Amino acid sequence: MKMKKVLFAAVSAGVLMLASPSLAATELTVQRFFGACDADFGTNTDVAKAVGECGIITSLINKFNADNPDVHVSVSTVEWPGYDQLTAQFASGEAPDIVTIHESALSDYQSKGLLMPLDDLLKSVGVTPDSFTDAARNGATKDGKIYGLPIDSWTMLYHINMDLFKQAGLVNADGTPILPTSPEELLAQAEQFKQKTGKPYFVQNLANETALYTRNLYTYLFQQNSDFFADPKHVKLNTPEAKKVVEMYKAIFDKDYTTKDLDYGGAINAFLAGGGGVQLNGTWVVGDNNAQSETKGTALNKGGYAVYPYPQLFAGAHAQYADGHTWAVSQKDRTPEQTAAIGKFLKFFADHDFDWSRTGHLPAYKAIIASDAFKALPHRNTIAAVADLGRPLPSAVQRQFAIQDIVGEEMSAAITGQKDVDAALADMESRVNELLANI
Amino acid sequence: MDDRRATPRTALPAAGARTASVDIYAPQWRNFIFVAPFLFFFTTLLLVPLFWGMWLSFHKADTFSSGNFVGFGNYIRLFHDKVFLQSVWNTFYFVLLTVPTLALIGLFLALCLNRRTRTAAVLRTLFFSSSVLSVTIVTLIWRIVFIPNVGLLSTIYGWFGATAPAFISDPSLAMIGIAIATVWWCIGLPMMLFLSALQQIPQDIYEAAALDNANRWQTLRSITLPSIKRTFVLVVIVQIVLQFQLFGQAWLMTRGGPNNLTKPIVLYIYDTAFRRWDLGMGAAASEVLFVLILMAAMAQYLVTRNKAGQA
Amino acid sequence: MRAPTISIKGRAFGDRVLLALVILLSLVMVAPVLWVIGLSLKENAELMANPNSVFQAPYTLKNYINTIGTSSVFVWVRNSIIVSGGLTLGTLILSSLAGYGFARLNFPGRNVLFVIVLFGLAVPEQAVLVARHQIFSMLNFHNTYHGLILPGLSASFGVFLMTQYFKAIPKELDEAAMLDNASRFRTFWKVLLPLTVPAQATLGIFTFLGAWNDYLWPLISATKKDMYTLTVGMASTQTNFAQSEGIGFLMAQAVFAGAPILIVYLFFQKYIVTAVSGAAVR
Repeated sequence: MKMKKVLFAAVSAGVLMLASPSLAATELTVQRFFGACDADFGTNTDVAKAVGECGIITSLINKFNADNPDVHVSVSTVEWPGYDQLTAQFASGEAPDIVTIHESALSDYQSKGLLMPLDDLLKSVGVTPDSFTDAARNGATKDGKIYGLPIDSWTMLYHINMDLFKQAGLVNADGTPILPTSPEELLAQAEQFKQKTGKPYFVQNLANETALYTRNLYTYLFQQNSDFFADPKHVKLNTPEAKKVVEMYKAIFDKDYTTKDLDYGGAINAFLAGGGGVQLNGTWVVGDNNAQSETKGTALNKGGYAVYPYPQLFAGAHAQYADGHTWAVSQKDRTPEQTAAIGKFLKFFADHDFDWSRTGHLPAYKAIIASDAFKALPHRNTIAAVADLGRPLPSAVQRQFAIQDIVGEEMSAAITGQKDVDAALADMESRVNELLANI
Repeated sequence: MDDRRATPRTALPAAGARTASVDIYAPQWRNFIFVAPFLFFFTTLLLVPLFWGMWLSFHKADTFSSGNFVGFGNYIRLFHDKVFLQSVWNTFYFVLLTVPTLALIGLFLALCLNRRTRTAAVLRTLFFSSSVLSVTIVTLIWRIVFIPNVGLLSTIYGWFGATAPAFISDPSLAMIGIAIATVWWCIGLPMMLFLSALQQIPQDIYEAAALDNANRWQTLRSITLPSIKRTFVLVVIVQIVLQFQLFGQAWLMTRGGPNNLTKPIVLYIYDTAFRRWDLGMGAAASEVLFVLILMAAMAQYLVTRNKAGQA
Repeated sequence: MRAPTISIKGRAFGDRVLLALVILLSLVMVAPVLWVIGLSLKENAELMANPNSVFQAPYTLKNYINTIGTSSVFVWVRNSIIVSGGLTLGTLILSSLAGYGFARLNFPGRNVLFVIVLFGLAVPEQAVLVARHQIFSMLNFHNTYHGLILPGLSASFGVFLMTQYFKAIPKELDEAAMLDNASRFRTFWKVLLPLTVPAQATLGIFTFLGAWNDYLWPLISATKKDMYTLTVGMASTQTNFAQSEGIGFLMAQAVFAGAPILIVYLFFQKYIVTAVSGAAVR
């Protein structure tokens, strides 16, 4: 009996799926990361009501479908960053029409001729590359052509629990947080923080994590003017500069100035619950964190929430690692209607980039950065600086996500004490070079 | 059943001119028709990919372009790759953690639950039930046990004001965490195999032992264990072959981390071929796995043949 | 289940210790599942604030309602039923035919072919994964049901099992039929096949469970969300809890995903146990 019911439910669910409305609209398949939140925003078309990356992107696409009855976009949500799946899809000739790709990953697919150059299509719908910010335009351009519609520039930030900072005595007279200006100061302030609050200075997601480690390393290599990718086919990471950074993070780990065994979700929750002073996370959580700080009774509501670029700890360039998200279009035979529909979709996202920038990401369009509406968003006065600070890896470097895994793995081995720092840096360098030599 | 067995005779075609003087066991080509359908799939889907894979392993090929012949280049790179060597060690370590545990707990449960009570029946059902779940559900369950914050383990430790061990991220515990989830998942099969072996033991031996006033320990050592020796070997080999193919648990619980300490060979293949696009090297790693499993299978063959010889 | 009927003093105490141990182990089996069910009945926000809230009311069915409303878990279950069912049917047909052929009939090269098939037992799926994926790409087989079913049809285990089983049936049975001039296929179909039902059951159950739980092949072959099987679908949502609908929702989804096979197990338990033990004796 039960079994029959389950079968019946499964079959009827299947029939419902097949019967979903498709009139005569042009079908487009869109694949994206940013998470799933259909329970909360599955039918919402009022973008202003949405919060966070997932809510805003879901609502935007709902709105696009509602505004354009002649086009129907069906969305697949994949787990971040979704490249395993995308590669398998390309390999089997089943790639989606439009897909989210990081600027840092564009060249992997572009170099294999899998992506469609968008210059003409964008021109036909009135989107011109001069309207992009410099960072976005550079990131989306490969071999002189645009291969993705940039929707943002992002970087990592110091998300600060001001209540705990006040307890730790790390607040200036004007109410702004005191941030370190050198590695020594960072360790001293973290110690002071731990003494006064009993909590770790940093909330980091270090459990089987690679991206955070790697971005931290890149940022502080930039700040020491270490040109580790002078040759995009050959990396130099076994350097005194890299050693300085790894040793700094190792000290932070060894002295318990950071949370240790949290995964990404756990770190977010820990920070929201007041588990530490500074969460190292990206621009994308600014909107969510700000919403929390405006909710009564939360840890961030107590003393406020502040967010800053990574502090300048070294004497070199003022820079930090940055990247951006784009919508890329797969190379495929299409009818003029389908191509036109893709144009409409891209144009829609170019037009609605302000809504997307409410996540905390920096807009990819000059006009929006300059707009009063953007400047009026919370915390943009402190983080707008990253528009100038943000720096990606050289665009000719391929397999940046695979490199990120290697760098992150070895850094974690060094920081958690599995490996000697020098050995880890040597392995890191040789593994990355082995990878690059065999592309 | 009995009716059916009789049917052919009654339903025979009325041929009969020829007598059945033909030797029905003479080799005939048309008999091949019975095995042909399977052999077709076997050849196209197993043998061809196997040889294709060997060919591929001598080439530098990526997902989107097939490349040049590199001889043993991929194999040389493979055996110079610390991560690959680590993954081979990890796989053996995992087998070492899980197989003895599975065999011993399985045997223990079988000995305890080999009785006719209702409780025993319910418990047998319970211990086997996890085996039917798919790996993705098992890993979800165990991640939610191990995860900091809302995890079952951290909640229980929290009652005592302690911090739970980090079974997913601590370098020395991560593989053990995966092994725990695996034992939980796989314990049903060894238990069932031991149970069925225990039931093959003739009852009268036990009765004789009882008359000799043997105690339980003596009975276990001198009667029960020797009688199931063959099953024990079978369980161990089957589990070695199964656990050698570890992939899902490691991929879903730790992604092979921290720093590749829980990356098994299969995950290395997946990583190399499908995430780093290095098909040739992925194929080379596949061949190494193939040779290792072939050796285990040979061991199984030898063991079973010897046993059969002794019997 | 037969129990040795020996009575020894002190047995009762020993029994109690063993029982306590077994019950402890059964708690380890059950507690994680109960925890999952507990989490699935709680509001996300409450869980984040305090995991101990699992033990206190209020409970809610909201996660289950959301799952029914927005989760694709039912599509995944449907796909898994189609793939596992198709593979089981195909395997039974192919293995029975080939098993009969190898056990009873003679044809040129039979023994060599059988050794080659046995060799197939030692080829793990993972060893041919890369090449198979490439071949299926060329044939455009990915993201189809046959693309998910076909690889399983090349497994030798079924042929091996059925050959052994056919060999164990007394030859007199089919010799009698053959002498009566029944065609070989008739002999196979009417006389021998009905006798192999227990082996068919063993093979069917193993094949179905194996296909139901397969993860690696669907992971690289079924990359479109409407072709996800249950394993891939569940995996696609679980590794990053922060980017999903929340823990409670995931747990409710896991309950929906695990329930069908557990119910099938409870219903067919006897057959499954017999099948497993059957495989052991051989």
